[in-house]
Amino acid sequence: MIRAENLQKTVPMGGRELEILKGINLEIKSGETVAVVGASGSGKSTLLGLLAGLDEPSTGRVVIGGTDLSALDEDGRAAFRAENVGFVFQSFQLLPALTALENVMLPLELKGQQDALSQAEHFLQRVELAQRLDHYPRQLSGGEQQRVAIARAFAARPEILFADEPTGNLDSRTGEHIIELLFQLNQEHGTTLVLVTHDLKLAERCQRRLQLEAGELVVT
Amino acid sequence: MLARDWRGGELGILVAALVLAVAVVTGISAFTTRLQSALEQESHRFLAADAVLSSTRQAPGEFVEEAGRRDLRTATTLSFPSMIFAGEEAMILASVKAASDHYPLRGELTYSSEPFGEVKTATRGPQPGTVWLDSRLFALLNVTVGDKVGIGEAEFVVEAATRTEPDQAAGLSSFGPRVLMHYSDIPATGVVQPGSRVEYRQLYAGAPASVEAFTSWLEPQLENGQRLLDVDQGQPGVGRALARAERFLLLAGSLAVVLAGVAIALAARRFSERHTDYVAIMKSLGAQSRVINRLYGSSLIMLGLVATAIGCTAGWALQAVFFGLFADQLPVTPGPAGPRPYAIGFATAFTCLLCFAWPPLRRLGQASPLRVLRRDMPSENRRTLGDYLLGFVAIAGLMWWYSGDIRLTGALLLGLGVTGVLGLGLALTLLRGGRLVGMSAGSIWRLALAGLQRRGTANALQVVIFAMAIMLLLVLVLVRTSLIREWQAQLPADAPNHFMLNIAPDEVQDIEQMLRSSDVPSEAIYPMIRGRVMSVNAEPLPTRDDATGERHQRGANFTWSDTVPAGNELVAGQWWPAGTEEALVSLEEEFALRLNVKVGDRIGLLIGSEPLEATVASIRKLDWQSFRPNFFMVFPPKVLAAFPATFMTSFHLEPEQKPFLNTFIRRFPTVTVIEMDVVVEQVRGIVDQVSAAIELVLGVILAAGALVLVAGVRASVDSRMYESSILRALGARRGLILGGLAIEFAALGLFAGLLATVAAEFSVYLLQAWVLDMRYVPSPWLWPIGIASGTLLIGALGVFSCRGVVSSPPLAVLREL
Repeated sequence: MIRAENLQKTVPMGGRELEILKGINLEIKSGETVAVVGASGSGKSTLLGLLAGLDEPSTGRVVIGGTDLSALDEDGRAAFRAENVGFVFQSFQLLPALTALENVMLPLELKGQQDALSQAEHFLQRVELAQRLDHYPRQLSGGEQQRVAIARAFAARPEILFADEPTGNLDSRTGEHIIELLFQLNQEHGTTLVLVTHDLKLAERCQRRLQLEAGELVVT
Repeated sequence: MLARDWRGGELGILVAALVLAVAVVTGISAFTTRLQSALEQESHRFLAADAVLSSTRQAPGEFVEEAGRRDLRTATTLSFPSMIFAGEEAMILASVKAASDHYPLRGELTYSSEPFGEVKTATRGPQPGTVWLDSRLFALLNVTVGDKVGIGEAEFVVEAATRTEPDQAAGLSSFGPRVLMHYSDIPATGVVQPGSRVEYRQLYAGAPASVEAFTSWLEPQLENGQRLLDVDQGQPGVGRALARAERFLLLAGSLAVVLAGVAIALAARRFSERHTDYVAIMKSLGAQSRVINRLYGSSLIMLGLVATAIGCTAGWALQAVFFGLFADQLPVTPGPAGPRPYAIGFATAFTCLLCFAWPPLRRLGQASPLRVLRRDMPSENRRTLGDYLLGFVAIAGLMWWYSGDIRLTGALLLGLGVTGVLGLGLALTLLRGGRLVGMSAGSIWRLALAGLQRRGTANALQVVIFAMAIMLLLVLVLVRTSLIREWQAQLPADAPNHFMLNIAPDEVQDIEQMLRSSDVPSEAIYPMIRGRVMSVNAEPLPTRDDATGERHQRGANFTWSDTVPAGNELVAGQWWPAGTEEALVSLEEEFALRLNVKVGDRIGLLIGSEPLEATVASIRKLDWQSFRPNFFMVFPPKVLAAFPATFMTSFHLEPEQKPFLNTFIRRFPTVTVIEMDVVVEQVRGIVDQVSAAIELVLGVILAAGALVLVAGVRASVDSRMYESSILRALGARRGLILGGLAIEFAALGLFAGLLATVAAEFSVYLLQAWVLDMRYVPSPWLWPIGIASGTLLIGALGVFSCRGVVSSPPLAVLREL
């Protein structure tokens, strides 16, 4: 399903190149749930960004379901994301200009789906926010915002869901609730889930854990 | 902390705005100050001095002594009509001017070694015992250089042909061809006797302050028959052009102040928004409000000093570049700028910092440390009504100080006020309306409209700022266009540049014939009768000496006509039917005002020794600077039929047609020809220089306006970048994102353009009516241009500023923000 081949990422830093990822090879099967763990600065989020096509590797390539992401231009990758990929971010990343409902409708509309409104309503109901459809992100608590983000991520029924520290900004009780929702929906839809986390409890819920240390995968 | 902020890159925006403001204000102020002093110098050439005392008798010697004590240079001229003889029978009435050694004090004389020959310049006139003759006189008197001519009882050697004098323009009194001689030769001629028709002129020149002190000393001592001339009186056309140009430059400078203020306000807002988190962190670490205020206060002062220093240097460089670039177009030598531009720059920097940057920064101290935990918490750092009032007052004060003109300031502020009030109202209403309509539209539209609406207040503010910048630019373009158009209309290329007076009735046909056959375009030939207004409504008027006010007996030239003379406009009453025998008269507006008569009043005249009573039938308005025959009074032809008249006209001669005058004068020796071509050229030259200066300043202000627009767009780029990158992560194509941004900014630009057009039209109306002394003409073409340029400009700038979001990886943008 997802295959990374010799992924390398370097960024210029103070006149020299800083190597963030040093040749990552991995494969994730369809429907698998994988946690990427590691210390801060080990390159977890960078890896996630590359796998999701949010950034381009310095060398190497990412192939998802037969599509070579590095062969696509940014618009091509955007179209690919709209069709196949969903996101849950640590800081929610909802559009402040749009209501909860509109935020969830957004990826559906980007895919050109006709029933965006009813789908979005359905998913917001699913995350227990049916009463807050017309609220703006600033009127919602952190946990509620993340639930909107989860509804948004699943609404487009993506093949793969990427989550970057989904509970990082939340208290542990809210976090647990979010984890429940995430895995419930994941199971219902058979989505491939790749998440980056510090949270050991969350990591343990996944079928497989990838440990990153200083830009390299270590076997656990 | 400054250093740390600088590394963070956020201080850069504020410093850049400040430096820009100070540079533009200082640069324009220095440029206009220097240009003004240069143009003033140039205009003094038309007096051949800085100040001139004109009198019919010789001025008392104590004036000259006093001028000497004040370190002024002086010279004297004496002008009078006199016959000039050559050989046995040649004899012509000439206009003689005798000049003392130092004449002219300003400007130059030009002469040539032979009639119509190569022009050379001289800083002084003929030596004693010699004369310079008008080129035409050589032919008329049949003399050449080195021959002798007689004036009164003295004989003189012809040394050169006189071509131009700096103060040639001084009125129409210079009848006949010119003869220049030395002042010390006057007694020998014996032609100047008590009671002769002569004009003495005492010329003064020196440092501006000394001249001003001297003229204010002189003024109270002037007697009847003595007049102090300033540039305006010496050359009304130039005076008016200069006055307007000066206003325009001040207007432009004031706009620079406003634009600078707006730019700083924008930068300060962005600065304080970005610093809210910073302060929240400091507070969470235990910093008190007082400490934070002191920190930002001292930072601002440092910032102001640094920005002023850089800005003043940049401003100085700016004006130097102007003068360097346009050295050819501005053949005047720029004067010194003095310290004022730099003082203005300094004051602008600190006023702007205090009134625009400080209020939001001061409130930074009150930022809640809770923001550390929730970054999206609404910021308390909102601008209050008080902030806007403070800013408005600051701008008003700066503009007033800068322009020294309350009406100019008022007209612009009213325009800005209209923009502000209308803008906020309209923008808020429309943006809210857009939400309702937009909900059902496609995704791209909804995104754009939702963005517009969510930032409602901020967007309304942005619209107002865009509108203000666009409005100021439109105002400037409009005023410049109408100024230059009016100047050009006033002096078209074929404007008459010669007058012909004293044409006998039986010469009219022959002269018309000769003008036509020589291809000389001329105005109609008008009869001219001189008379005196003696009474109004049968009530005798006092003589000028007995009069207490404006109303007294007046001599005037009048003509007859069955049609409204060309270039005249009826402002009251009606024109008479052709062929009427009724005793009617049409008066010139100003003339009627001074006599205090209206349509229907009766005025009594004396023409020669014959009385005539006529009823005022209409009042006319005309342009005295049109170089056409203009008359105070016009009568129906049959009413004046019984009075003896001479005729006059004006015509246009190209330089190469000048020899026509020789032929003409030989054939009609009694006709007086007045050459105005040099004057017309001088006026046109000044107007050209002033126009070039205006274009130049316009260019600078346009650049400053564009920078404000960019700053305005940039102020909202952060949040738009953030939203766009989320959209990209969710899979939106670049076309969708750029399209949404384009719609959003174009909508803002559309509102701004509309508002700007309304406000510009309003301001231009006020400016033309109050400040520039021009007639208001609505400009319908402004509407499509204002609206279209607003939409396109803001739309393009917005997309350009946000283009980064589609060219860098979404992850990078999400991380950075």
